[in-house]
Amino acid sequence: MTRTFVKTLLAAGLFAAVASPAGAEPSKPECLAGAKPGGGFDLTCRLAANALLEAKIIGKPMAVTYMEGGVGAVAYNHVIGKRGSDGNLITAASSGSALLIAQGKFGQYDETAVRWLGALGADYGVLVVAADSPYKSLSELIAAYKASPTDFSVAGGGAVGSQDWMKGSLLAKAAGQEPKEMRYVALEGGGAVLTALEGGHVKVGAGDAAEMSKHHAAGKVRVLAVMAPERLPGELAEVPTAKEQGVDIEWPVWRGYYVGKDVSDADYKWWADAFTKLVATPEFVKEREARGLYEYTQVGDAFDQQVKADVARFKIIAKEAGM
Amino acid sequence: MNLDYLWNGFTVALTMQNLLIGLAGCFIGTLVGALPAIGPINGIALLIPIAYTMGLPAESTMILLAAVYCGAEYGGRISSILLNVPGDAGAVMTALDGNPMARQGRAGEALMLSGLSSFVGGVFGAVGLALFAPLLAGLAIGFGPAEYFVLMVFAFATLGSMVGSQPVKTLIGCTLGLMLATVGLDATSGAYRFTFNEPELGDGIEFVVLVIGLFSVSEALLILEHQASGVTVIRELGRMTARLDDIRKSIGATLRGSVIGFIVGVLPGTGASVSSAVSYTTEKRISDTEGTFGKGDVRGLTAPEAANNATACGAFVPMLTLGVPGSGTTAVMLGALMLYNIQPGPMLITERPEVVGGLVASLFIGNVLLLLLNLPLVNIFARVLTVPNWLLVPGILVLSVVGVYSTHASVFSILLMLGIGIIGWLLRKAGFDMAPIILGFVLGHVMEVNLRNALAISGGDISILFQSKISIILWILAGAMAVMPLIAGWRKAKRMKTATS
Amino acid sequence: MSDTTFSSSRIGRIGGLLMLALAIAYGIGGSQIDYAFASDPLGPRVVPVLLAIILAVLCLFYLKNPGTAEAFPTGQLLVKIVAVPLLLLASALLLEPAGFAASIFLLTFGVGWIFGAPLRLALIGGVGQAALWWFVFSYLLDVYLPVGQLFG
Repeated sequence: MTRTFVKTLLAAGLFAAVASPAGAEPSKPECLAGAKPGGGFDLTCRLAANALLEAKIIGKPMAVTYMEGGVGAVAYNHVIGKRGSDGNLITAASSGSALLIAQGKFGQYDETAVRWLGALGADYGVLVVAADSPYKSLSELIAAYKASPTDFSVAGGGAVGSQDWMKGSLLAKAAGQEPKEMRYVALEGGGAVLTALEGGHVKVGAGDAAEMSKHHAAGKVRVLAVMAPERLPGELAEVPTAKEQGVDIEWPVWRGYYVGKDVSDADYKWWADAFTKLVATPEFVKEREARGLYEYTQVGDAFDQQVKADVARFKIIAKEAGM
Repeated sequence: MNLDYLWNGFTVALTMQNLLIGLAGCFIGTLVGALPAIGPINGIALLIPIAYTMGLPAESTMILLAAVYCGAEYGGRISSILLNVPGDAGAVMTALDGNPMARQGRAGEALMLSGLSSFVGGVFGAVGLALFAPLLAGLAIGFGPAEYFVLMVFAFATLGSMVGSQPVKTLIGCTLGLMLATVGLDATSGAYRFTFNEPELGDGIEFVVLVIGLFSVSEALLILEHQASGVTVIRELGRMTARLDDIRKSIGATLRGSVIGFIVGVLPGTGASVSSAVSYTTEKRISDTEGTFGKGDVRGLTAPEAANNATACGAFVPMLTLGVPGSGTTAVMLGALMLYNIQPGPMLITERPEVVGGLVASLFIGNVLLLLLNLPLVNIFARVLTVPNWLLVPGILVLSVVGVYSTHASVFSILLMLGIGIIGWLLRKAGFDMAPIILGFVLGHVMEVNLRNALAISGGDISILFQSKISIILWILAGAMAVMPLIAGWRKAKRMKTATS
Repeated sequence: MSDTTFSSSRIGRIGGLLMLALAIAYGIGGSQIDYAFASDPLGPRVVPVLLAIILAVLCLFYLKNPGTAEAFPTGQLLVKIVAVPLLLLASALLLEPAGFAASIFLLTFGVGWIFGAPLRLALIGGVGQAALWWFVFSYLLDVYLPVGQLFG
């Protein structure tokens, strides 16, 4: 009798400790970055952490923690397995995460194993050539690719199946080639792509607008097309979109967050509302621009739908490419 | 010659934070060197994860590690002289004349003299490095995947000089390192290799885990087996200043040792143990007219001491200019750079001048700090020799566990470290050296990726590997490096044959 | 120290056979790496298979002449040698549930004792080191360490 009573008491106490009051500000806000400090996930976490604090939406600083491994796979598995109901925690993700999920590279879990919270910014894919390259527009590039497909090396900062490879495969398809046959050179990140272009080792590179715009402005490389629905502001304002040049390629790289599957609706709603409030503040715009991200906001269920649609789309693209 | 990188390096190395880091590194290094149980490579392996999780920038970490490396070469002499047990591999020769001096009641003099010659050797090496680095770095332009691949071939060919008496074991070690490097996501095709569906292996085996397993855990087991029994510390240090007469007598030996040490250091694949042996035997041949070597001759003490310090600096030349490690310790340091996403290679000095310049500048500063630490404080370091293993080894293990856990926050990586440590211990028992494994691991990834990228560019045409001038020169050098020890061995055999007949 | 005995060269041969087995297993594993397609002519399988062949050939040379090796520990020393990794294993598994301090105490006390410290000194050393390292990492270096569920 007494034992049952003690047990119940313990259970009740435990429950009270775990469940935070509904809809309140998280007591220990935390953003998990599935990579080393300094990478893309870190940037994503810092955007939320700094902007939320600057805009005074959270009172306490948000901790950024790191869990490196498998381009976010370790963090994904960790959140699902150990912190599924933790309302304090948001985890950084990007469209690259959706791509890996579509390819089954996040282990046994798919995109429905977490709740997608929102995206706060995006980068866009670009195609670049060396500054002294004979190609001045996307159509010239595609014509040259068509003319001699076996002689056309494309470099990107990632392996086969990565975002940069996907961008290259869209180019190959536009040139009427099989993505499988594309002569793709997988390098370590955008810096290496730049070096390979400058050294004349490859003909064209796939990359991200934020990183390449600096080198475009410095005259080191020429961005031929941005894979965005509209022209980008800033240094790339002169560069036409792929669509303008008659090729229907878009590649937004959103940066967003997810929470565990069993996080309460109240907590989920608190975060979603916080994001909605956040994007309207000038503090946020400053923080977003400081990180070279373009405007791209999607919050709550709309984002959840978007991610699921992305995964479905990536599955089709990957299948078409022969993955 | 353009030495701007060096002057900029001094502004990096002379900031308050980096000076303090350098001082801490010098102190830790001297301790690590003085303790016979652990050498520079163990000390560096333990410090890498701590520096990384503290959030130190790459140049500060390199300054710390370089200070530890050089400090260990200073510290090694202390136990050689006082215990007759070398504190690390580079100090083996120091014991030959240092310990007899100590037994004659001249321990203090021996420590002072060897401290001074360490300083001369270290500064000589640092000057050589500063002048040498920009010369070689000019080659970097024009390195594409094909050239990188041939460079790695060259790096492995230099193993020929590392093979020692058991070449098969060196080659096996190297292959094991290359195999370990294939674990994880394949950077070209995106396939997972040898990950056994374990997400924690997705990025491959973490360098910190490998290096701590091989150098700390296995070391602890070896210490347990070789528990020193009946070694006596010489506590009577005698007069603590060097005699002018002795200094004058050893100037030549110190300078010759410095030159030999630096040259041996620059050659990839050889380290302080080789250079100190070469300089000792050379000095003996030149100066030992009265048969005093081995009985406490100051020249036999100072020549190898200068040499091992010059070697430590010289070993940075191939590492900083070509991204090819000059010794086991620099291979570990190169791995540390990879933690910061800095790829080893000839682009290093142009892409990250603050890392290269800061490191070179810190060697000058570090040698001054080390001289200041090692002359007046030598008593304190001497006392450390009496720290019992039952306190020391648990400390090493705690640092290992924390180091591995803090970089990943996962118990899995501790278990992996433990497994690697046990295998490392077994291999070391069987006479395998750990340095080729590290070399294979650090360079294997660069080698495979660049070979495959070169072939992707050429569409499978192998001739791309022989197209540029740089590649052809590197092929010739690699061939020469691989063949040289064979010829040397053949000539030695022939000489022995003529001697017997 | 490098007392080479006949038995140690036999142990060297056993090691050589184990490595040969590793080479074969690694080669088979390497030839079965799962991938959709590769953009380079070699693909992810060629290098592992090549390395497996190289290791296998080297192992044959090694088996022919294992060279010098140190004698394998026996008796009480072997027990001690086995105990150290077991203590490491235990403290790794206890790290998250029991926390840093408790698991490090186990490690430093146990290993200290194995290394021949009298029980009392090993206990003092264990407590001292656990406290020292906790202070160094948590306060001086600000490294995250688990507090443990028992105390947290």
